Amino acid sequence: MISLPVVLGVAALLFAVGVYGVLSQTNTIMVIMGVELMLGAAMLNVVGFLRYSWPEAASGSFFVLVIMTVMAVEAAVGFALVVTVFRHRRTAELDDLTGLGD
Amino acid sequence: MSVATPFAIVGVAAVGGFLVAWLERLVAGRPSPVPVLRSIAVTLARPIATPPTYDRWLFHLAPSLLLLAGLVALSTVPWAPGFRGIDMESGVILFAGAIAYVTPAVFMAGWGAGGGLSVVGGFRFLALMIAYAMPIAMVLTAVGAPAESLRPTAIVEIQESVPMAIVQPLAVVLFVPAVMAVALLPPFDIAQAPSELGGGAFARYGGLEAGIIALAQRVLVLAVAGMTAALFLGGWYGPLLPPALWMALKTAGVVALMLWAGRRLPRFEIDRLVSFAWKVPIPLSILAIAWGGLVTLLFYR
Amino acid sequence: MNDLGTALVFWPTAAIMLATGVYVFRTASMARAGLLLLASLAVEGLIFLALASEFLGTLQLLMMSGEMVLMVFFMVMFMPDPGGLMGMDMTHDKRRAQGAAVAVGLALALLAVLTDWPAGTIDSDAVDVRAIGFEVMGRSMFTFLFAGMTLMFTMIGATLLAKQGGRHGVGPPAGELRDADGEGG
Repeated sequence: MISLPVVLGVAALLFAVGVYGVLSQTNTIMVIMGVELMLGAAMLNVVGFLRYSWPEAASGSFFVLVIMTVMAVEAAVGFALVVTVFRHRRTAELDDLTGLGD
Repeated sequence: MSVATPFAIVGVAAVGGFLVAWLERLVAGRPSPVPVLRSIAVTLARPIATPPTYDRWLFHLAPSLLLLAGLVALSTVPWAPGFRGIDMESGVILFAGAIAYVTPAVFMAGWGAGGGLSVVGGFRFLALMIAYAMPIAMVLTAVGAPAESLRPTAIVEIQESVPMAIVQPLAVVLFVPAVMAVALLPPFDIAQAPSELGGGAFARYGGLEAGIIALAQRVLVLAVAGMTAALFLGGWYGPLLPPALWMALKTAGVVALMLWAGRRLPRFEIDRLVSFAWKVPIPLSILAIAWGGLVTLLFYR
Repeated sequence: MNDLGTALVFWPTAAIMLATGVYVFRTASMARAGLLLLASLAVEGLIFLALASEFLGTLQLLMMSGEMVLMVFFMVMFMPDPGGLMGMDMTHDKRRAQGAAVAVGLALALLAVLTDWPAGTIDSDAVDVRAIGFEVMGRSMFTFLFAGMTLMFTMIGATLLAKQGGRHGVGPPAGELRDADGEGG
């Protein structure tokens, strides 16, 4: 019915959706959402491996835990950056944020 | 889990929701159950008034999501030996996960209705929940430690001699206000806040959807009270009476306590509630985890 | 859960996950985008449950709710058009982005199909909570402690940078700051 390549294929599609989001969106928060989808795909991969290839490897579950934490922290740091940038530049649009200087 | 499980859960939700509504009147000092039935009829008969500017999908999905969250939370509560909905190894996490979906539901209702006050209600609840959801998850960890399991039935079974509320008083003190906030009970009902937002996030609903929201709120109260009784008050253990009756009595007691506290306490401003939550209960819940580990090592091994 | 049950849960949830994931970037309303992302990742939690990762699935449901609702909050704050009522175009480089996404997806899917993965059998009654607990508190404890501390410092640092006045403490009042960059009033 379901096998490892199927799970990995679905995860690949989810990752592709995330890639599209990161590349096509102009707003920083939408880009963060794309990154979240990509991390979600990574988690799905690991869970697929856990189910179909290495059921005994608890370090895989541990890795998923770490990815979940990274998702939260990535969002938190991203929001903090957006707040700072918005405070100085009054925008969160990536096309307006091209220079490092001012 | 069998075929009958979903029906049993819905049955418990319907009966329990009605009983909670009756308890609300009892606590208010008006014991007759007839007005409850009448207000159900009035709610269902209220015409559906579509708001002028609204997000159709979010507006109409919100009541169902709220009810679903309540039902899943209710199904994780162990009512009696052998009578519970979903008995998972990580059941308390599922409980916390289910009540976490109250936040998106309230936000969807508030945003979907598209009025100023309802959006404010949704955002207020969001800010409140970010602060109050944390102690819940942390306290559940502390309670799971003595049982060496996150399965609610296992946590009940460890309390056969001593209820958890005596062993971990800090945990219960942190848990009850937090779940009251999740269950939209006063004094934490700042999402609807009848006296200042005029119904807030749920003001624009009518007819069946208003009925679903009213039922979902009672189901949530029942679920969080049942979980409090199961995790802290020893669940179905007690002398003389049969287990299910003990659990029902304890749940009713917790519901009555929550409703009574809601009638006695004033409603605070959102900024005070949130700043208090970040400064006091969240650090204290780290202490509660440490305390849980300590009592586990000292008394439960 | 047996194979049939897994398949019955997996296919619909995978379809919903991908569809909501795509619609995140197609809707103009920011509230909808955030909630669709929540739907996508929460449904992914259901897939975890179907794939016998009980703890990870429930934890995913719990974590994603709070995180994605926060995301909606920030989006409504920082988007010029949060309700999607003005019909602004929030995309750039659409065609190249689509091309890159298709290429990446195809490459990964090919990799998934063509590699010869080792097979293991799972005990369907096995639960992962205990195993994860022993892993986190045993072999991986040092890693987890270190990662946790790093993440905590990151969060504190980010919060400090984001607060009014940056890391130097209380900054000028909001009115003065607005006047400084000439957008006051």
